Amino acid sequence: MDAKLKIDFNEGNVQGSVARILVSEFDLVPNILKAQIEGDGSGIMIVSINAPEEVIRKCIDRLNSLGFIASKMDVHILHDDDRCWSCGACTSVCPTKTIYLDKDTFEFRAHPDTCIACGSCLDACPVRALSLNQ
Amino acid sequence: MYPVGITIRIILLIAPRLLFSIFVTKTYEEINEKIRAKKAVVYTAEEVIDLVRKKGAEKAAEEVDVVTTGTFGAMCSSGAFLNFGHASPPIRMTDIRLNGVEAYGGLAAVDTYIGATALVDPPGKDYGGAHVIEDLVAGKDVHLHAWGPGTDCYVRKDIDTTINLDDINEAYLYNPRNCYQNYSIATNGSDRTIYTYMGKLLPRMKNATYSSAGQLSPLLNDPHCDTIGMGTRIFLAGGEGYVTWQGTQFKTTPEEVNGVPVSGARTLALIGDMKQMDAKYLRGLSITGYGISLAIGVGIPIPILNKDIMQRCAISDEEIYAELNDYSVHANRKALARYNYAQLRSGSIEYEGKKIRTSSMSSMEGARKVAAELKDWIVKGEFELNKPCLSLPKEASLKPLIEWKE
Repeated sequence: MDAKLKIDFNEGNVQGSVARILVSEFDLVPNILKAQIEGDGSGIMIVSINAPEEVIRKCIDRLNSLGFIASKMDVHILHDDDRCWSCGACTSVCPTKTIYLDKDTFEFRAHPDTCIACGSCLDACPVRALSLNQ
Repeated sequence: MYPVGITIRIILLIAPRLLFSIFVTKTYEEINEKIRAKKAVVYTAEEVIDLVRKKGAEKAAEEVDVVTTGTFGAMCSSGAFLNFGHASPPIRMTDIRLNGVEAYGGLAAVDTYIGATALVDPPGKDYGGAHVIEDLVAGKDVHLHAWGPGTDCYVRKDIDTTINLDDINEAYLYNPRNCYQNYSIATNGSDRTIYTYMGKLLPRMKNATYSSAGQLSPLLNDPHCDTIGMGTRIFLAGGEGYVTWQGTQFKTTPEEVNGVPVSGARTLALIGDMKQMDAKYLRGLSITGYGISLAIGVGIPIPILNKDIMQRCAISDEEIYAELNDYSVHANRKALARYNYAQLRSGSIEYEGKKIRTSSMSSMEGARKVAAELKDWIVKGEFELNKPCLSLPKEASLKPLIEWKE
């Protein structure tokens, strides 16, 4: 299954490579969706991986044992079909192209798997049809 | 040898048909007769593009009676006239709130006009005049709170009640400016995100927004208003409406490419009965950082009176251009480049070698629904065309607002 991991790090492990662990120890192909480091060395990273549920759990345990705070991220975009009028204003501010208009019908479409819950689209929607499930 | 008289008679019989095949002229009455007989041939402005490409404008004009257009976008200069009816004892309302939104108190006792962009008091709830209009059309109860001076004939000083569309007398949209013929493409060359009426614009030209139904848009299919004029019967938000005047900021001066302007140009003032409307063709908008606006579905039928009108209805997104403008520049803004609507709808354009992602502020899906529903009405014989009683200006330019200095 496709899953997104949210990994909090701090000045103690900011130099460590989460991606290397996921590749070399679990043979996964991690895709880093977001990575942000603050001035104090803390930060977050969001990684998407495709792995069975059990492997994902092992990844989380392993990263936590190294001092990262890893958790499965289920936050993604929610869409109010009744309110949305498919203007498309949200589509050009979505960094992962999770939301888009259908090429032929120009109707709103979303594939929440790639959503990194950045929230950029929320205030771009003039009918407030978008929200995060948190 | 035929006698001369018979020859002349034959010529007289054939001549109109010959003329018809040369010039293909139809009248409104001929088209309306076909509509009443449910025999009118109606295409949407998108469907007709291929037909004209295949058969040519002349053949297509013989075949097609009406082309329907549609648009569904933010139209700030919109609003509703309402008459509440008189309470007992009566009040002359001078300060009027509908769901907390101020409506105009300078008309007769229980008449008002609520503008689409009016803000709820206190502001900040993603609600305004446009939402009141949408709620009324959706059949929802709306809170009316009004105050008056109290006079000998209108003794009362305040009233607090609810109204809905069925309970009030008249309710009609009167929109001073709708259906902008074309519009700018907005981008942001500054290094911070800006929030505009053209939506959220990311820094360093990461995105650009546009707002037109392009090949389906009413005034791009009749660019010089040959058929659209005062009295043209239209589809307004699911009900019947009319063009009442030129829209505000109507101008004919912008440069044309392929016979249509590359920027703003013409606009329309529209009227329509809210009691006939369908809330699915109205959307109260809250545009972050800008304010409230109303999205309205408008459809205008174009009678195919001759081949020139047919040819203009066949314009496609590839042929309609708009200008890219940097909305972080506040004075003497100059267009940066031109793109056609096919490029804009592809999701990205290129400027100086850099990719800019594009998105629309108006609904193409909605515009198609409007044009399709208007087509359906005409095909079923439920909607006849009205010949305009007055043409819109052939020439008009815009004046700026001058600040006189001593």
